[in-house]
Amino acid sequence: MNVLVFVKQVADTEARIIISSDQKSLEIENKYVVNFFDEFAVEEAIRVKEALKDVEITVCTFAPARATEALRTTIAMGADKAVRIDSSKFETDDPLIIARILAAYAKREGFDLILCGRQAMDDESANVGAMVAEFLNIPHVSQISRLSMLDPGRAEVENEIEGGKKVSEVALPALFTAQKGLNEPRVPLITGVMKAMKTEITVLDPASFETPFGAIDNGSSNIRVLSYELPAKRPSVRIIEGQTPRDKAKSLVKLLGDEAKVL
Amino acid sequence: MSKDVLVFIECKDSMPRKASLELLSAGRQIAAKFSSGLSAVLIGSGVKRAADVVNAYSDKTIVVDDEALTDYGWDTTSSVLQDIVKKYGPMIVLGTSSMTGKDLFPRLAVRFEAAMISDAVGFDFEGDGLKIKKPLYGGKVISWIAPGTDAMLMATFRPNSFAVSEPGQKGEIIEEQANIRKNPGIKVISFKKGESKKVDLQEADFIICGGRGMKAAEHFSLLEDIGDIMGGRVGASRTVVDSKWRDYDDQIGKSGKTVSPKLYIGCGISGALHHIMGMDTSKVIVAINKDPNAPIFQYADYGIVDDLFTVLPALKDELKESREES
Ligand SMILES: Cc1cc2nc3c(=O)[nH]c(=O)nc-3n(C[C@H](O)[C@H](O)[C@H](O)COP(=O)(O)OP(=O)(O)OC[C@H]3O[C@@H](n4cnc5c(N)ncnc54)[C@H](O)[C@@H]3O)c2cc1C
Repeated sequence: MNVLVFVKQVADTEARIIISSDQKSLEIENKYVVNFFDEFAVEEAIRVKEALKDVEITVCTFAPARATEALRTTIAMGADKAVRIDSSKFETDDPLIIARILAAYAKREGFDLILCGRQAMDDESANVGAMVAEFLNIPHVSQISRLSMLDPGRAEVENEIEGGKKVSEVALPALFTAQKGLNEPRVPLITGVMKAMKTEITVLDPASFETPFGAIDNGSSNIRVLSYELPAKRPSVRIIEGQTPRDKAKSLVKLLGDEAKVL
Repeated sequence: MSKDVLVFIECKDSMPRKASLELLSAGRQIAAKFSSGLSAVLIGSGVKRAADVVNAYSDKTIVVDDEALTDYGWDTTSSVLQDIVKKYGPMIVLGTSSMTGKDLFPRLAVRFEAAMISDAVGFDFEGDGLKIKKPLYGGKVISWIAPGTDAMLMATFRPNSFAVSEPGQKGEIIEEQANIRKNPGIKVISFKKGESKKVDLQEADFIICGGRGMKAAEHFSLLEDIGDIMGGRVGASRTVVDSKWRDYDDQIGKSGKTVSPKLYIGCGISGALHHIMGMDTSKVIVAINKDPNAPIFQYADYGIVDDLFTVLPALKDELKESREES
């Protein structure tokens, strides 16, 4: 069985981000990590492999060369293969184009199950997973909190939807996006890290393979980032003075009503 | 080309969600700018009552009411929404950045090769076009994104991004028949209704959030009381969720929910970036912490430096009194 995991390398929360003076680009401090939710996807793939044995896990990303490190982390955790589809000539923010490329790769490789995180921590868009499923014409389930493989070719998943929790039986091939709580992602062992250093990471040029789901060149994007800016800054905090906690609470409520006008 | 606007309405307990009414108010401004029409679409079962409310905000309210649409599924709902979009030909389709919106819109965007911009918080006009405001990197940066001129725009917005305008003239209600396509690969085994909270965390105007400083699960009843008085909700930091004092559902922050209520009060929360990223867009932020150097004070409008266990009972009384007066 082939399990594909799509991951994204994202800027760490602590990374400094500088907006260029023309506001057209961002300079991001070189502190990157595997997207938080993608770790659950990788871990789940490994658990499927541990349960079913005859499973090959391929982790794939559409990214520039710096993402090699993120791929190595997933190998260290226990993935079998890692592929980087080079984004340097196709840099885009358009989820539709990214999904076209990843879906094309999935179609070319063949797969039984695709896992990814429920959203990326940098843009919080939550688009690419469901879009890939749509291109591939397979079902998807968003933000799963439990996965059990049933045979043959079926899986049972639990996910949270508006108003409650749903359990569904899904025919494979299918795509699931991982929610926190699906599992506890393992910390790679030193042997895993050693293996990851030696593992060759395949690099693919998206121009080199057929993309049956539509154009992927930058000109075909329907989205254009016009500018970046800093969020409006809050004035500095006003510490409420008072003799007793009750005095403070009283003053606060008065300010919230009269000044902030939120009561 | 006319830039008609269509808003996908979500309901809770058969009534439109506040977030959907916000979108109609935003959609009205967009339609006015482009001299185009504003429509709303309601897809579900027993949604006719909601249509009467929605209709006071839109020119047309399209209702697809069918037993088979009782439980949301992306497959069935998207098949119906797709037909409506095809038939009415809007150039701008708006939805909420909710669990449903995030599940549904990407599939639809593929079918229309749309410009998909999700989790946005505002819009503006630039020349003849529309531009969408979207925070990146947990709100460290704001980006302005324009859809291609010929593309259909599909955009989802966070709840509390817009104010709800006054209802206006009644529009027209149009009932459409559904041609529901189910995905044969998915069989729903069970649906367990969650505890029906008064308001959704993301839609709440008031949030009081507890951190590790709350010390134990039972102390959250203090926060519940204040939440009830204010008609709002109780949130939690990750530490609290990891300690199992509260459900993951209540977690605010980078790996939880992003909220922007009118008023957020953080109690015993240090203000780690991961948490701040989930609440920084709140209109007014209050922090209660005994440590004057807690980072949360760097992000707050008002602060109380004191023991929360002495402040909160007093705050509860004061808020109650101010509520009763108004
Ligand atoms: C990948 C990742 C994702 C994360 N995602 C999230 C997320 O989504 N949400 C989130 O919240 N965190 C998240 N975190 C964790 C985050 O970094 C912090 O660890 C967490 O927010 C701290 O929670 P806290 O403020 O409740 O606890 P602490 O940092 O321990 O702060 C407790 C505060 O309570 C105060 N206090 C104690 N007693 C009292 C008292 N009696 N009266 C008044 N004040 C008192 C203390 O002064 C202190 O400031 C994430 C971390 C990582 C690595």
